[in-house]
Amino acid sequence: MLSEQRIRGVLFYLSVVIFFTGIPFILSFALGYKFNSHTFKFTKTGLISIKTQPPGARIYLGSKLLPEKTPATINELLPGVYDIRLELERYYSYGTQVQVEPRKVTRLEKVILFPTRPNIKQLNQGKIASFCVDKEKGSIYYLNQDENAIYESNLDGEEFKEISNLPMGFNYPPKELKVSFDREKILIFNNHQICVVYLNQKNNLPYYQPPLILNYPAQEIEHVFWHSDSCHLVLITDKNIAVLEATPKSNPTGIDLPAPLKEGSHQINLVNLNSKALGVFYEVNKDVLYFSDYERGADGIIYENIYKLELNSKPLY
Amino acid sequence: MKKNNLKKRTLEIIPGLISWGIIFILVLLAFINPVSCAVISLIFDFYWIIRTVYLTSLLVMAHRRLYRERNRNWLSECPDNNLYHLIIFPVYKEGPDVLGPSLEAIKNCNYPKDKMIVIVAFEERNPGARDNAKALESEFGNIFYGYLSTFHPDGIAGEKRTKGANATWAAKQAKVFLAAGGISDADVIISCFDADTCVSKEYFGCLTYHFIKSPKPHRASYQPMPVYNNNIWQAPSFARLVEISSSFCQMIESMRLEKFVTFSSHSMSFKTLVDIGYWPVDMVSDDSVIYWKAFLFYKGDYRVIPLYTTVSMDIAYSNSFLKTIKIQYKQKRRWAWGVENFPFLISGFLTDRDIPLIRKIRRGFHLLESHVTWAIWAIILVFIGPLPIIFGGAFFNQTAIGYNLSKITGLLFNFTLFTGLAWVILSRLILPPRPKGVSWLKNIVMIMEWIIVPFIILILGSTPALDAQTHLALGKYMEFNPTPKSKKVV
Repeated sequence: MLSEQRIRGVLFYLSVVIFFTGIPFILSFALGYKFNSHTFKFTKTGLISIKTQPPGARIYLGSKLLPEKTPATINELLPGVYDIRLELERYYSYGTQVQVEPRKVTRLEKVILFPTRPNIKQLNQGKIASFCVDKEKGSIYYLNQDENAIYESNLDGEEFKEISNLPMGFNYPPKELKVSFDREKILIFNNHQICVVYLNQKNNLPYYQPPLILNYPAQEIEHVFWHSDSCHLVLITDKNIAVLEATPKSNPTGIDLPAPLKEGSHQINLVNLNSKALGVFYEVNKDVLYFSDYERGADGIIYENIYKLELNSKPLY
Repeated sequence: MKKNNLKKRTLEIIPGLISWGIIFILVLLAFINPVSCAVISLIFDFYWIIRTVYLTSLLVMAHRRLYRERNRNWLSECPDNNLYHLIIFPVYKEGPDVLGPSLEAIKNCNYPKDKMIVIVAFEERNPGARDNAKALESEFGNIFYGYLSTFHPDGIAGEKRTKGANATWAAKQAKVFLAAGGISDADVIISCFDADTCVSKEYFGCLTYHFIKSPKPHRASYQPMPVYNNNIWQAPSFARLVEISSSFCQMIESMRLEKFVTFSSHSMSFKTLVDIGYWPVDMVSDDSVIYWKAFLFYKGDYRVIPLYTTVSMDIAYSNSFLKTIKIQYKQKRRWAWGVENFPFLISGFLTDRDIPLIRKIRRGFHLLESHVTWAIWAIILVFIGPLPIIFGGAFFNQTAIGYNLSKITGLLFNFTLFTGLAWVILSRLILPPRPKGVSWLKNIVMIMEWIIVPFIILILGSTPALDAQTHLALGKYMEFNPTPKSKKVV
């Protein structure tokens, strides 16, 4: 027992020594101090934290290559400006200057290294006029100008298939191509035409809804958005803001199928614009349209204002 | 009287106040000066790791000693003597299912039975006590020199419903019995055991040996190593790990002789017990306070001698996980209620004129420090450590320590994996043989289960102790709340 107590005594005092010896070094390191063994003084330092995407880049501090690779922390740097260069095979190198402050960390943690030969893959087949990506469904929709048809593929350009044709008379180039939220329709528009194509129609149905075109020769179409119900379109031209109905109607067969849109029918002009809207934002989650327009104030001066138009709270027809 | 009460209340408040004060200050610092909080946190982390390594070294030494001595034939090494062993089992609701194996273990030990007196001390308020007594008497009544069943009456003035009150009642009955048999108190070693305590075969030989060889046998308590092997193979992981850790803590304490205090089942001279006025009848932590009572009575000339032999007890658990946590929490809180020893000891020190001041300061500080550390360590490591990072804001995150804190802490705690590994290995070595009907796969489970230790630390690390200290500080005194003992799950 006596010898055990002796060993215990040695262990105890050893622990005390380790604690009191170790704690100054741990704290000084943590707080950003460096112990100078020549002067026996602690010097204030800073550190740089580097992270790259992808990791594994070589780090040059000035002209000196450091042994660490990213992600890495360069500790115990005296305050000042440092040139940092990050290099990785087959990636563009990245260089910057960083300011190191005493007892602080300079973070270089959002560095993306871009490949010198990017991995590019052609997805389309044929000449495309426009496309859109449905990330949730994992599909890409292409408008093929040569064949006047819409194609669909997965996000890797595989499973390529034609899903619909565009009617004759639609003028190229289109401005945009948009899929409705129920993924039943595709909207294509140019400066004077809106085209709605109905998808997922079974061939054996007795009623087939062909794509149709709405023409707006006297107006210039700026933007068209799908309403969140996928049954209406929000149209912004240089003259007004309108809502179009795109709801399937019952047809004589009794089967619920999309009914044709007719120009001028089921359209409500909500706002007459004084000028072409400079900016438009449609918040689809709340069906709110933000837009700008000019208006003459009581003082006779023309002001540009931003307006908020709620399209969700009121019945639209 | 009023002054005494004020002094008592002040001393009762001190541990809780210190613990809560430390926690409050650190949390406050995390918001107003996160760098200071981080520095304190780092110092504590480093201190805790070194402490863990140091204590694990002591555990290894204690384990080596236990391994070496547990199968020694102590009785053959004992000189001729006239010592009697008086064994008291203070029980409340426990019946023959719990007491039977404990008495059987005494029956099976190698000490002469004609030198043993067994008392099963029942509480009169328990309606089943008489029937239980009869059942046990019929089985064990004629084996020992004496076998008594005592029934502690309820509601004696000045008493609380504590184990100490029951044990004291039984010890007084024993004194009458011994006097009638012409046995001197000085020739009797008393062992006060929990109902589920099963002694090893060599226990009384080992105890007798140490008693005889001790230069001052009446100025010492004798503390065996408590293990919870009775149902260790059946208990769920959570409860098993908690109790293994408790055993290990006790083994570690056995190496720190100057701080060693009696715990749970232990033994002492009957003469000493009589001289110091038996166990306190109004305190919950009778097992440790009896040591302090003797320490004060003998002016500091009292110690605890470790016995490197085991007494095995039950792991308290239930068939429901949440109930097991609750049972374990209550048990740990009762142990932590040992903080009531602090006002008891300091009150004693204040009236004592003989114990050297430095010794008073050391013992008082050790007692206070151990309870305060118990109440805060897990809270600092688990909850307060990350606070500066969470609430330090952009400024703290730009500082070197804000960046380094989690990295250094992670690195430091990697060292504890080595100590953890030592605990896993030692836990395997104290296991009893695998019972029939228990799959060998249980061996793998019992190694893998150590990964839930952080979860145990989170629940039972500090909160029971902080709870107990808060109750004591608020004057909400704890009644003795016996842990359900059963060989079957409750």
